[in-house]
Amino acid sequence: MKPVDYLRIWLACARYSVVRTLMFRFDFIMWALVEFCWMSVNLLMVSVLYNHTDSIAGWSKYQMLLLVGSSMLVQRFIMGFVWTNLFEMARNIRTGYFDFFLAQPGNPLVMVSTRKIDLDGLANVIVALAVVVYSVRQLGLTPSFGQLALYALMIGCGFLIHYGILLITVSLTFWLGAAQGIEGSYFTLMEFSRLPRQAFKGVAHILFVWLLPAVVVSNVPASALIHGFDPVNALWLLAATLAWVGLAVWTFNRGLRRYASASS
Amino acid sequence: MSAFAKYRHAFLIGLQSNIVYRWNFGIRALFSLFHLAFVFVLWGAAYGGHTSIGGFDLNQTLTYFIVILVMQFFIGAFNEDYQISEDIRNGLINQFLLKPINYYLYRFSIFVAARLVSGLLALLPIIIALPLLKDHIVLPDDTWRLVYGLPAMLMAAMIQFTIAYIFGLLTFWFLEIQSFIILSLAIETILGGQMFPLDLMPAWFFRASQWLPYYYQMYFPTAIFTGRCPDPATALNGLAIQSFWVVALLALAQFLWVRGLRRHTAVGG
Repeated sequence: MKPVDYLRIWLACARYSVVRTLMFRFDFIMWALVEFCWMSVNLLMVSVLYNHTDSIAGWSKYQMLLLVGSSMLVQRFIMGFVWTNLFEMARNIRTGYFDFFLAQPGNPLVMVSTRKIDLDGLANVIVALAVVVYSVRQLGLTPSFGQLALYALMIGCGFLIHYGILLITVSLTFWLGAAQGIEGSYFTLMEFSRLPRQAFKGVAHILFVWLLPAVVVSNVPASALIHGFDPVNALWLLAATLAWVGLAVWTFNRGLRRYASASS
Repeated sequence: MSAFAKYRHAFLIGLQSNIVYRWNFGIRALFSLFHLAFVFVLWGAAYGGHTSIGGFDLNQTLTYFIVILVMQFFIGAFNEDYQISEDIRNGLINQFLLKPINYYLYRFSIFVAARLVSGLLALLPIIIALPLLKDHIVLPDDTWRLVYGLPAMLMAAMIQFTIAYIFGLLTFWFLEIQSFIILSLAIETILGGQMFPLDLMPAWFFRASQWLPYYYQMYFPTAIFTGRCPDPATALNGLAIQSFWVVALLALAQFLWVRGLRRHTAVGG
């Protein structure tokens, strides 16, 4: 299949998702509200902490909000575009329904990752963007068009890294089988993306800053807006993106070999 | 068969079926250590340059989060609401309508068994991490904290379970309740003190939260054990409000059960 064929399939899936959302409007409102509430929980956390301190690891309140907003932005895109698909993938591997994707005339990874779009997740992209814009204004920053484009690219890299981590986590189902809820561990890991890099010390610094990509996804874009473009940080983000997406695709393909279906 | 024997069997079945899912709990407990690491990094940085936040030092605050974590595995409701919802949706609840068994007590027996398994499994990674944690754990040694803390913990478990039970019963009216559950979880996370100790909130908010059931789900027993509840009189006052919420939630659960059954249609043989 050519890339344009994938695009047409994805557009058809997107259209189906929109129609489905319009059919279940109450569900859409409720889930959008759920995500909004969880975002508010994180913002409240920042607010409470800064009621008792002026700086966390050298980051002021609005710098921290920008960091949290950037992290939210990446996560909202994940929730909107891939979360449901990968969550269902874990379930489908367990039930054998995954056969459906293998029988399709396209790359199984693309087919499984792009089947549905969650509009409730995407609706909250606006809220995350509002947090970023509000923080930028409070910090008195006036980013150029180039800086904004770079920020958007970095958020795109963050999206790919999150996708990679999520795919690796879900692909473990090929080996672990009955370990339900393992996809939730992605949220645990990505909690660290709401923390400033300077807060990590010792083993935590090695683990979460260098070995796992939890910190790079949000700190590099936020720092690019606050302190301007840093080529070393940009290269670090790019390398992390290539490494984690590569590792995720490899893990998925290895897992696929173990898949034994569940049909008779 | 005596009433006790019925629910003892339900407890034992719950114990066996939850041991089957030991890996789930084990993995969950392991990842909860990551959450603890998040807490240590965040609060460690927040205390930079401060000896006290809200009247408590860093180790006292970290102890609070460690105890909250243990509490979550021993008394927190995990997916009981979802299981009850599935029972109603799939018609499995019909069998309980024909037998001399109380559905709430049956589910509660299984909940106790599940928490026993998940609580003990959660202790394993904490014991492994103890060499790293022990220097940060500072628990007050007043005896009254144990005397008041244990009943507070038991009632907190009842509140946790009963709220989950109530959400499960909503399936009589709504086909899909998952969004209600996760929305409530977000509220619980804040008002139950899981995100930050409630005493760090503005005084008016802290006082208002003491009248809500969420306060008694996690924060209250944890505050007694970790010293954030200052004296026995405050604890006793809290226990009285907590008892009220236990009774009120049980009454609401019974009301919803009776009203829900009127809407319920059992189909098939």
